[in-house]
Amino acid sequence: MTDETFIEINDLHFSRGARKIFDGVSMRIPKGRITAIMGPSGTGKTTLLRIIGGQVKPDAGEVIVDGQDVCRMSRDELFEMRKHIGMLFQSSALFTDLSVYENVAFPLRVHTRLPEDTIRDLVLMKLNAVGLRGARDLQPSELSGGMARRVALARAIALDPGLLMYDEPFTGQDPIAMGVLVTLIKNLNVALQTTALVVSHDIHETTSIADKLYVIADGQVIAEGSPEALRSDNSARVMQFMHGSPDGPVPFHYPADDLLYDVLGESAA
Amino acid sequence: MHMRTVEISVGVFVLAGILALVVLVVRVSGVSLSRDEGNYLVYAQFDDVAGLRKRAKVSMAGVTVGRVADIAVDTEYGLAVVAMELNSGIGALPIDTGARILTEGILGARYVGLIPGADEETLQAGDYIEDTQGALVLENLIGDLVTRLGAS
Amino acid sequence: MTRLLRNLGVLALERLASLGRASIIWAQSVWGLPRAGDLSLLIRQIYNIGVLSLIIIVLSGFSIGAVIALQFYTQLSRFGAEDAVGLGLALVLLRELGPVVTALLFAGRAGSAVTAEISLMKSTEQLSSMEMMGVDPLHRIVAPRLWAGLICMPILATIFNVVAIYGGMVVAVEWLGSDAGSFWSGMQDAVELWEDVGKGMIKSVIFALVVTWIAVFQGYDSEPTAEGIGLATTRTVVLSSVVVLALDFLLTLGMYGDFK
Repeated sequence: MTDETFIEINDLHFSRGARKIFDGVSMRIPKGRITAIMGPSGTGKTTLLRIIGGQVKPDAGEVIVDGQDVCRMSRDELFEMRKHIGMLFQSSALFTDLSVYENVAFPLRVHTRLPEDTIRDLVLMKLNAVGLRGARDLQPSELSGGMARRVALARAIALDPGLLMYDEPFTGQDPIAMGVLVTLIKNLNVALQTTALVVSHDIHETTSIADKLYVIADGQVIAEGSPEALRSDNSARVMQFMHGSPDGPVPFHYPADDLLYDVLGESAA
Repeated sequence: MHMRTVEISVGVFVLAGILALVVLVVRVSGVSLSRDEGNYLVYAQFDDVAGLRKRAKVSMAGVTVGRVADIAVDTEYGLAVVAMELNSGIGALPIDTGARILTEGILGARYVGLIPGADEETLQAGDYIEDTQGALVLENLIGDLVTRLGAS
Repeated sequence: MTRLLRNLGVLALERLASLGRASIIWAQSVWGLPRAGDLSLLIRQIYNIGVLSLIIIVLSGFSIGAVIALQFYTQLSRFGAEDAVGLGLALVLLRELGPVVTALLFAGRAGSAVTAEISLMKSTEQLSSMEMMGVDPLHRIVAPRLWAGLICMPILATIFNVVAIYGGMVVAVEWLGSDAGSFWSGMQDAVELWEDVGKGMIKSVIFALVVTWIAVFQGYDSEPTAEGIGLATTRTVVLSSVVVLALDFLLTLGMYGDFK
């Protein structure tokens, strides 16, 4: 059984200043499944999400989302496409001047002309799905980090999007909050039958829910496959990443002179 | 903050601004609201209006009876033409009224002083005052004085 | 020597690029027709920017008016010209101090608040998430603030002038014993609607444009870090102040040029 591909990335090139962030990256994100993109910090995983969402334009390559090339879209087409994408930001990015209710209602107000009653029903349902219906009148400043993320999730699914992108959802969460999020992501994916893209470097949580994994390092894909396949991968880099070894292809020591030389000075040479 | 309170305070704010503007216009710059009816323009030609500015006062016996509306120059005769807007309140002036350019104090601002005549016929809007005397320019006076001293 | 020139050149290009970005942001914000919900956004911003600045404007206005009246009175009484306090006060305020001091206070209070707000939104990815939801942050966040600034500052300057003149009157007439009649009539004689009030308003509008533009841009362009917010806020206040004062000099020359 072959899965349909929802997102196709072909030969992506992107540089920021002198740094090459993506050097010929190609990916196939299957429809209706949870795909994880992992890699060391700073490899531009968040940038990848931005490129898929059309916020950032790559230097070269194609990014085809549900049959359309994002890089060639006009403003209006992008606006239309964004109705069908929900994104959960690392900092939850709730609008601080709006209440929880208004935050979740925001995409509904922007993209639809639904009457207030309908909006109310939808907002309450979404909040209920993440377990925060009772918190609807709170301000974002009154929420804990974990709660804020759940509200942001409710906001992201407000329009029942076909694609859900999660930017480092597990970072800095306590175990309970982490558990809640993992469950939510998995359940929502089954219930809404969306395609989910999770960017993370939390091996344990991510491998527990992902159907397919990509590992990106140094601007290239160094591994792709199911969690089991990657765990038994023999390449040194993948092994270091998957097992969290402190030393390997990514060295422990920052480049420096020989230790004795540094400590004892010229006389040791 | 409730939206209602916000809206009301914004309304008050804008209203305060408009009121302040009205105060500036009426009280501070003294623009009179009943400008038009009855005020009329009268002209006078002078050989020198040095220092006279628009909106300088026009007074008679020390009482302000109008304002200088415009100062133009007649290039054919080399004369300055001053248009004066006289207040309706002063009624009609005799046609032989005189106009002088005077100075407030010694070094003060210039203004136009009117000296009433005795004729029965009165000045109508648009008329020219015949009897005029230009401004006393300090440099000319001094030059005059020097010449006279030299001659004696 | 060449190194200095090169650095200056790089700096100049940096500034030009900044100005270019700022202009694009300005153009994109004010372009496009307003939509139904925009009025409430604007009203909220007028509240934040204008109404909340009232207190400082009124207090400063009163003090400055009082102080100037005091100083003028002292100097003018040496020439026996105390009656000119009213006109001196009004002219100085309407032409110069009203627009300029209001602009400086505005930059400090409202300008820095706007910069901090936008900068914070940038660093918490609120602007990004808005974009991802298909909402243009320039339209929703920047534009209402630009228009609010443009509306509020002239209003504040006018209120400042009136409060200052009354402050001066209280000092000159009630306290120092100047004649109320000559205070007002001297003022009314000398103050011209277009020359003084009108041109002062124009200055105020120009300052409003500049200060709000700077405040909004510094926030939008800031580094999304904690230091970035602080840096941007400081820059708003400093840059606004310098530009306002420099512009004032040029505008005064242009408007009242005939000084000989």
